Amino acid sequence: MTAFAAIADGLRLGWRLIAMARAAIWAYRLRSAFVVAGVALGVAALTIIVASIDGANRKAMEMVNMFGPDAAFVIGGNIESRAVGMRYRTLTHADVQRLRQSLPGAYLVVPMQGKGDVTVRHGTQKTQVANLVGTTSGYAQVWNWPLAEGRDFSEDDVLRGAKVALIGDAPARVLFGERSPVGQTVLVDQLPVQIIGRLAYRGVSGGAHNVDERMILPITTLTQRFNLDRNYFRAIRVKFHAPELMVSHVANLKSLLRDSHRLQEGEKDDFSIITADEVLKFMAMFKGGLVVFLGLTALVAMAAGGFVLANLFYLSVQERRMEIGLKKALGATDMAIMYQILIEAVSLTLIGSGFGLVLGKLMGRLLERLGILELMFSWKVFFFAAAAAIAIGLIFGLRPARQAARMSPIEALK
Amino acid sequence: MTAALAQLEGLEKSYRQGDQHVYVLKGIDLSIGQGEFIALQGPSGSGKSTLMHILGLLDRPSAGRYRLNGQDVDGMDDAALSDLRNRTIGFIFQTFYLIPYVSALENVMLPGLYSRTAGRRLKARARQLLEQVGLADRMDFKPSQLSGGQQQRVAMARALINDPSLILADEPTGQLDSATSTEIMELISGVNAAGPTVVVVTHDSNVAGYARRRIEIHDGLCRNC
Repeated sequence: MTAFAAIADGLRLGWRLIAMARAAIWAYRLRSAFVVAGVALGVAALTIIVASIDGANRKAMEMVNMFGPDAAFVIGGNIESRAVGMRYRTLTHADVQRLRQSLPGAYLVVPMQGKGDVTVRHGTQKTQVANLVGTTSGYAQVWNWPLAEGRDFSEDDVLRGAKVALIGDAPARVLFGERSPVGQTVLVDQLPVQIIGRLAYRGVSGGAHNVDERMILPITTLTQRFNLDRNYFRAIRVKFHAPELMVSHVANLKSLLRDSHRLQEGEKDDFSIITADEVLKFMAMFKGGLVVFLGLTALVAMAAGGFVLANLFYLSVQERRMEIGLKKALGATDMAIMYQILIEAVSLTLIGSGFGLVLGKLMGRLLERLGILELMFSWKVFFFAAAAAIAIGLIFGLRPARQAARMSPIEALK
Repeated sequence: MTAALAQLEGLEKSYRQGDQHVYVLKGIDLSIGQGEFIALQGPSGSGKSTLMHILGLLDRPSAGRYRLNGQDVDGMDDAALSDLRNRTIGFIFQTFYLIPYVSALENVMLPGLYSRTAGRRLKARARQLLEQVGLADRMDFKPSQLSGGQQQRVAMARALINDPSLILADEPTGQLDSATSTEIMELISGVNAAGPTVVVVTHDSNVAGYARRRIEIHDGLCRNC
C-alpha cells in the first residue's frame, strides 16, 4: 500500500470515528451534559484567572504611566518607621526652594497639601470628594494629567490665594453632567470657588478611592481657608529631564534633602521617595499573590472537572461494554476504539470550554461591575481555555479509553 | 469436498487455574470447506463456544494450527486479526447485539465503517441487504422499534455487509419463537446457497436440521470431524 493510500484510509476512518463519537455523545446526552458542565466550571474559573492576571498587568502599567517614569514623589516622614511615631511634618518651603534651585535635572517641583472628604455643592447638587489637594501651578503637568478644558493656576493665583479650583472628572459629572463646569462657582464646604479647569478622565481606581474624585485649589487658598499647616507640606512631586538617569536623580534628591534637614550620618531619612520603580515592585508583589492564589484555584477547578470527566467515562465504558465488545468483534482495532473514546472526551471538553468561556465572561463582567477584580479578556484566554480542554480530555480520557480498547469482546458479549 | 476455507490441526485451548492447566479443547482436527453449512453441537461446557471464538478470531489457541483462507493466523498481531476478521467473518449472535441508539441502516453499515469500503458504496450495499432480508421499509427504525425477528434480520444484513467468506451464528434463534426461527433459518440457508460458509452453534435440532454437516463436541474433543 502506498503512503498516500494509507493516509486516505486513516482520514476516512478518522472521519467515521468522529461521526460515531458524535452519535454516542448525543445518545448519552445526560452524561455528556454533566461532563460539559464540569469542564465549563473549570474553564470559567481559568478564564477569570487569566483575565484577572492580564487585568492586574494592565493596571500596573496604567499606574506606572500615571506615576510617570520621569518623576519622584517625596512624602514627609519615613514610611518604614512611621508606625513608631516618627515625625512626618518635615517638608518645608525651604526644601522646595532648594530643590527648585539646586537639584540637577529637575525642571518642575510642586509641593502639595491635602485634605480628605469634603462636600462640594453647586445649586441643589452636592457630592462628596475624597481628595482636596492644595498645590502650586503645574499640578496637571507634574502628574502627567492633562486638562480636558480650561487652564491651570497662574503664579498669581497662588500668590493671592485666589478662590479658583480645578475639578476632577467625577465631581464634574455629578454636579454638571455633560455641561462644562468651567466658569461656574461651587461651594467647597463653605468656600465659594470658581472652576477654571477640568482634569481629564483617568479611570484608574487607586486603591479604595476613585482618582477622578478630586478637587485642586491653590495651596495658599487651601491652607488659609481650611486652616491647615502652613509651614509643612504633605508631599512634593519632582519631574526630571533624562528619565534614564533616575537612579542618580533620586540619589541627588535624597542627599539634598538630608542636607537640608541636617541629618547626621547613620540617622534615618525623615522623608520617603517613591518612584515608578517602587510602584512596579509593589505591583509585582500584589500580582505574585494573585497568581499564586488564583493559580491554585484554577488547578483545583480543572482537576475537579477532570475527575468528573474520568469517572463519567469509566461509567460510560462499563455501561457500553456491549457496544465496545461488538465493535471489536466486528473488526474495530484497539486503536479505533481508543480514538473513538478520546474523540468523545475531547469533543465534550471542547464544548465545555466554549460554555466555560461564555460563563467566565459573564461572571467576570459581574465581578468587574462589583469592583472586585480588574479583568482583561483577550484571544489568549480563548487559546488557554481550548488548550486546557484538550489537555483535560486527553489526560483524563486516556485511561478509560485504553480500558475500553483492551476490553475482550468475548467477555463483553457474554 | 470443496477447497478448505478453515483448517484446524491439533487445536488446543487451556487455561491456568492455580498450578493446573484446565483443557477446554484437547486437540481438534477440523477442515471446513468453502460453501459448507455446518451445525456445531454439544452440551454446555463442551468447548463448542471456545471453538467458535477461535474460528471467529476472537480468541487464540494455546497450541495447534489454524489456517483461514490459506493464511496462518497464529503469527498475526491483534490489528491484523481485527482486519482479517473484519473482511472475512460475519457474526450473528443470540441476542442480536445491535447498537441501540443508531438506525437499522447504520447498524448494518457498522462493520463496513472499519473497512476500506467507500461510504457511498457502503450505504448502497446496506440498503440492498436490508431489502434482501425484507426490511426495506424499516431502514431508519431504531432497534427498539423492531421485533426480535426483525432485529435478527438487521444483524444478518450486518453480518453480510463486508461480503464475508465465513458466517458464524451463535444460537441465532435462541430468542425467537418457532415461526420466526424458521424464517431466520430459511434466510441463513439462502445466504449459504449464495456462497459463504455458515457455521451455526445450536442446541435446537430443528436448526441443526438445516445444516448439511453436523459436528459434535464433547469434553473438548470432536467426535465426527
